[in-house]
Amino acid sequence: MNLNNLAWRNIWRNKRRTLITAFSIGFGIMLSVTFTGSGDYTYTNMIDMGASMGMGHVTVEPVGYHLKPSLDKRLTATAKLQQEILALPGVSGASVRITGQAMFASARKSVGGAFIAIDPAFETPDNNLLMRSLLEGSVFSNKSGRGMVIGSKLAKKLHVKIGKKIVYTTTDVHGEIVSDIARITGIFTTGIDMVDGMLALLPIGTVQQTLSYAPDQATLIAVLIKDQRHAELMRDEIAALPEAKDVAVLTWKKSQPDLAGVIAFDKAGNYISQFLVGLLIAVGILNTMLMSVLERKREFGVMVAVGMSPGTLFRLVMAESFWLAIIGLVLGIIITAPWYYFLYNTGIDLSGTVGSDFSYGGVLVDPTFKVRLFKESIVAILGGVFMLALLAGLYPAWRAGRVVPVESLKTI
Amino acid sequence: MNESSDVKQIVRMQNVVKTYRQGKVEVHAVNDVSLKIESGDFAVLCGPSGSGKTSILNMIGGLDVVSSGKIWVDDIDLSSLNTTQLSEVRKNRIGFVFQAYNLIPVMTAYENAEFVLSLQGASKAECNERTMKILKAVGLEGLEHRRPDEMSGGQQQRVAIARAIVTNPAIVLADEPTANVDSHTAEALLDLMQQLNQEQGITFLFSSHDQHVIDRGRRIIQIHDGKVGADEKRS
Repeated sequence: MNLNNLAWRNIWRNKRRTLITAFSIGFGIMLSVTFTGSGDYTYTNMIDMGASMGMGHVTVEPVGYHLKPSLDKRLTATAKLQQEILALPGVSGASVRITGQAMFASARKSVGGAFIAIDPAFETPDNNLLMRSLLEGSVFSNKSGRGMVIGSKLAKKLHVKIGKKIVYTTTDVHGEIVSDIARITGIFTTGIDMVDGMLALLPIGTVQQTLSYAPDQATLIAVLIKDQRHAELMRDEIAALPEAKDVAVLTWKKSQPDLAGVIAFDKAGNYISQFLVGLLIAVGILNTMLMSVLERKREFGVMVAVGMSPGTLFRLVMAESFWLAIIGLVLGIIITAPWYYFLYNTGIDLSGTVGSDFSYGGVLVDPTFKVRLFKESIVAILGGVFMLALLAGLYPAWRAGRVVPVESLKTI
Repeated sequence: MNESSDVKQIVRMQNVVKTYRQGKVEVHAVNDVSLKIESGDFAVLCGPSGSGKTSILNMIGGLDVVSSGKIWVDDIDLSSLNTTQLSEVRKNRIGFVFQAYNLIPVMTAYENAEFVLSLQGASKAECNERTMKILKAVGLEGLEHRRPDEMSGGQQQRVAIARAIVTNPAIVLADEPTANVDSHTAEALLDLMQQLNQEQGITFLFSSHDQHVIDRGRRIIQIHDGKVGADEKRS
């Protein structure tokens, strides 16, 4: 009889114990999938949301702009670079933008804020959160026109509505104070107070003229990529482009350090939770295997007495851990599949608890608890649990391999 | 004890001492025993409980180590071997029959009997041929697929005997093999082992204080207080 066959039979000696242990592995997988899936979904959502707020997953900007933003630092020949970036596989959008601070003044009030100057031809609701969050009106269609889209809270502060004029004042490329006038074409509301209360979209052509920029000069190119996990890879590819000399290329982690910090902190908490789940699984398996080994001391003594080597006995108990892990994994997949399907497609609506405009790390978070697992997460969970089960079997297997036959044969 | 130079000595014990420690007290379970077991012997170590019979059997089987002295099994000095090498000796040269049968409960009669052969790495065909032959020899034909809990004590002990002899070992060590069965079954088991000894030349060394066993022995070695008393050969 081969070792695997014997191990398989051995684990079914105590069916209840084996099933309890296998179910604990299964529920561990379910918990791990929930934690990891929630992380994969939420972090991706937050990163994509953050990227669509202005800076992209990858930001191309003048060297030093990130550390000390100033309108006199600018990119040149942005059109060529934008075309090169858009030609890269993995890139879903590249928008040339000018960002800066400004004073907005209506007939009744002046309020400090910031603007993002965009080319509407390259912006869509998919890649621009502010366009996606349009509450009323529309986005200007002419990049050299006088249109303007402002946040709902900023509009409220300025006591303005659609069609009203706003004067914005900023400093140009030479450091001179310059002003221009725009008419409100749309009002957005993202749910993030800071964004809604201070941000405005302006047409890039007009802003270039106001700031004395050349037509292809801007402060940044916001690059959106298809998969946020490849941000570092895309950064390197963009940095290697011929037109990307003398520019800085940053991932969202650098351009949005607050968001990166929040995600890193949350991930650390997630890892601790997963570690504790893993520990519980390991203790369960260790307990089962150790009990099983101690109960069979006499039998192991007989096996060694008739010629089984300690190494073979060690392998036998490890094979039992292996099968226990396999059963646990299969049960885990069976238990988790419908749960994952539900959370992936429907999720649990938490808006009653956290509100519908819950923001974290400066970005809006979907109040529906949903999951999404990346392939590598699936491999990590299943592989991790499997390895954990084998590791938990090491000590009992070592104990089994050290039985002294003459002592074991005395045990009842 | 008569010695014959042309008969192979399967076991040689030379001035073997086994001392156990019980708290602060040293107990000499085996005290300066020198003994030779020859090929084809059907020998019985007999004596009262605690006389040292099982200790001698355990040391010959490499299950326990000597405190001093030496033991050779099939000309192999057991004291020079490590745990794994001792396993090899047991696997290839020694068969064990225990008082409590000690079959593996998840295995059938066939699998229990075949177990040591499979440990030796014998081919499936060879395992099958030899196991079926042995099971037939011990009278278990037709019961191959039964598990230990589906067999009587006598049948289980027959499986244990089959497991002990299936590899053609140099010696079978049987520790009180009839202690857990009724006298009728004990006689039947002894008939079987005697037959195997006479027909196949298998060497048996028993440890027993059962008169049925002692009556069947062709060599009776009296053990008393860890020492060999009388060593009598019968025709």
